[in-house]
Amino acid sequence: MEKIILNKLPVPTFGWLKVNSAERDAAAFGTGKEREVLLADGSRAELSGGRSVFEVTAAENEKTSAVIYISGSEGKELTTNVKAAAGAEVKLVQVYENSGPAIGSVNADIAENAAFELVQLYIGGKDTVSGIYADLAGRNSRFKADIGYLLDGDEKLDINLVASHAGKKSQSEISVKGMMRGSSEKTFRGTIDFLNGSSGAKGAENEEVLLLDETVRNKTVPLILCAEEDVEGSHGASIGRIDEAQIFYMQSRGIPVDKIYELTARSRIAQVVSKISDKDTADRVNAILTGGEEDG
Amino acid sequence: MKEEKTQVADIDRSLYDFRYEEDERDYLGSGITADIIKEISDEKGDADWMREFRLKSMEIYNKTPMVEWGPSIEGLDIDNIVTYIRTKSRMNTDWNDVPDDIKNTFEKLGIPQAERESLAGVGAQYDSELVYHNVRKEVAESGVVYTDLESAMHDERYAEMIHTHFMKLVPPTDHKFAALHGAVWSGGSFVYVPKGVRLEIPLQSYFRLNAKGAGQFEHTLIILEEDSYLHFIEGCSAPKYYEAGLHAGCVELYVGKNATLRYSTIENWSKNMYNLNTKRALVDEGGKIEWVSGSFGSHVSYLYPMSILNGRGARAEFTGITFAGEGQNLDTGAKIVHNAPDTSSYMNTKSISKSGGISTFRSAVTVNEKAAGSKSAVSCESLMLDRISRSDTIPVMDIRTDKADVGHEAKIGRISDETVFYLMSRGLSEEEAKAMIVRGFADNVSKELPLEYAVEMNNLIGLEMKGSIG
Repeated sequence: MEKIILNKLPVPTFGWLKVNSAERDAAAFGTGKEREVLLADGSRAELSGGRSVFEVTAAENEKTSAVIYISGSEGKELTTNVKAAAGAEVKLVQVYENSGPAIGSVNADIAENAAFELVQLYIGGKDTVSGIYADLAGRNSRFKADIGYLLDGDEKLDINLVASHAGKKSQSEISVKGMMRGSSEKTFRGTIDFLNGSSGAKGAENEEVLLLDETVRNKTVPLILCAEEDVEGSHGASIGRIDEAQIFYMQSRGIPVDKIYELTARSRIAQVVSKISDKDTADRVNAILTGGEEDG
Repeated sequence: MKEEKTQVADIDRSLYDFRYEEDERDYLGSGITADIIKEISDEKGDADWMREFRLKSMEIYNKTPMVEWGPSIEGLDIDNIVTYIRTKSRMNTDWNDVPDDIKNTFEKLGIPQAERESLAGVGAQYDSELVYHNVRKEVAESGVVYTDLESAMHDERYAEMIHTHFMKLVPPTDHKFAALHGAVWSGGSFVYVPKGVRLEIPLQSYFRLNAKGAGQFEHTLIILEEDSYLHFIEGCSAPKYYEAGLHAGCVELYVGKNATLRYSTIENWSKNMYNLNTKRALVDEGGKIEWVSGSFGSHVSYLYPMSILNGRGARAEFTGITFAGEGQNLDTGAKIVHNAPDTSSYMNTKSISKSGGISTFRSAVTVNEKAAGSKSAVSCESLMLDRISRSDTIPVMDIRTDKADVGHEAKIGRISDETVFYLMSRGLSEEEAKAMIVRGFADNVSKELPLEYAVEMNNLIGLEMKGSIG
């Protein structure tokens, strides 16, 4: 069986942790001829199997947004190429809806004064391997990522995000929020890479993970690589349970502990969903999250 | 008018860069061969199990590949490293009996003076062998054993204890240089602190590698029984040569129930040295390991002390600083394994990079299934002093239980203009302001060290601000 190596950590570390890359059987994922799809402003695309390449492009000073749903039990592979020309703004929403095995990648070129906003939601998913590479080549280029995930049972998620700062005064802001149950497994690698010459650049990364069962397996790998003096980089991670003071307060309001975790997890994911400005997409996501029931 | 940029000077190493010529007839051959290893065993009168252990380790060394991560060690040719140098002197308990050149070396490093003023015991290793070991009478009378490892191995009171513990925490299969250590180890200290004994004054071992193109492979084994306390200080240095030198020591620490061990290291190897050292602690119920680590020297370092929290309520603290200057690639950090319920760990590190130096903070926090109720917090900060240097942060958290609370934060940046401006508005010059900020940045480690070592560390940092601005 052919093995493929995906999601390589930009700088490898201790081998025994098994976080330097993700190895998978190629046959489990998308096969067949690659399909090319150009996504115009306001497009909604759906991928339920096979291999697709999506192109999202914004010309100088233009704004473009697109939504891609990844669903269905078939194996699939998708690449999304994003080009934001000088002064352009691109917003891309990707929703993995209880998908079968999937390999996804987002490659973004962000020019001078351009901005790329990525919203990704992983709701379930048998085995998802997702790579995100943002090339902040232009001066004042900006990248913002809001990522949410809900994992249960034996679901697996492996993410490798790299924000590469080449442009002066480039900015990245990465926020990841997730909840894990059952015996699900997740690896999040997030790298802020300040290349020499990126003076004035700023990068911030944060991950909050709620673990709700004792059989979950969470790996968090937040890297900062720095070859420039005049930069500001930070990362933070909070893994495990909810703050005891917060639990105490909610219990004092009559909410049982298991419900507190459920509500907290939902509210964190809701913060990611709130970044989806397309109403139909937000409704569709909310319907999945509530299992068709109204909140309240 | 000539302009001079404000700069932070490299560490002043002149204190450490003196040397005495070795007689090359004292060297065994270079490289790792069965003949050399057998010769080392003969020299030391190894027991049968140790002879077999060394040869088995050599086999593992030959089979084990180099690690596929970390700084390049291409400049290190093991086949040209002298693994053992015969001592000119048997081990002594009086400095007056130590040969003059060796005694002068340690006098210059201030070891006998420190022993007189502030230590409960001292061990001094010169190249491959301990040349001096002594412990205060009252400390010995309390049942504390502090001696060289080889004497202890040949002493029937400790032989079995050492056999039971030696390279069990760091087995030769751990990595290539652990295997190398198992094959050619020589020298090092053995400390045993009995139940309930609290040693309030520190013990110190100092490791000096004087010979050119040589390796130092000392082994430190410390066993603390229940409710005991020890502060152990380790110092290392070498003069600079153009040939690569190697330090592949090994430290194994066993911390008993409710015992506390503080292990402080000021490492100042010269810039031709490859420092591939392995340190590991196993902490029992309610016990605590406190690592205080200053990494200033060497050309390349791989150094990540590991704490295995194996008993309920065991704790680990790691406080470290790394200063990487010109020609240095220092890859340092720590590893913590939470293996029992209600364990906790705290890591606080600082790194400074300047003049093209590369500093990497690398860590691993693992919370296993059995470690419900455990907590871990990691904080690391890096300071870049110019744009030709490099600073990387590579932490990993591997969490296998929901009943854990793990936090991590990291920051990287330069000296803030606003802070400099504020201090200047209070009457400081720019030079003074920047010097103050950098000293303050290193404060987390210096305040954890005994006063005389904090002073040494400040000397090592040698933060000298000079020149006019603009």
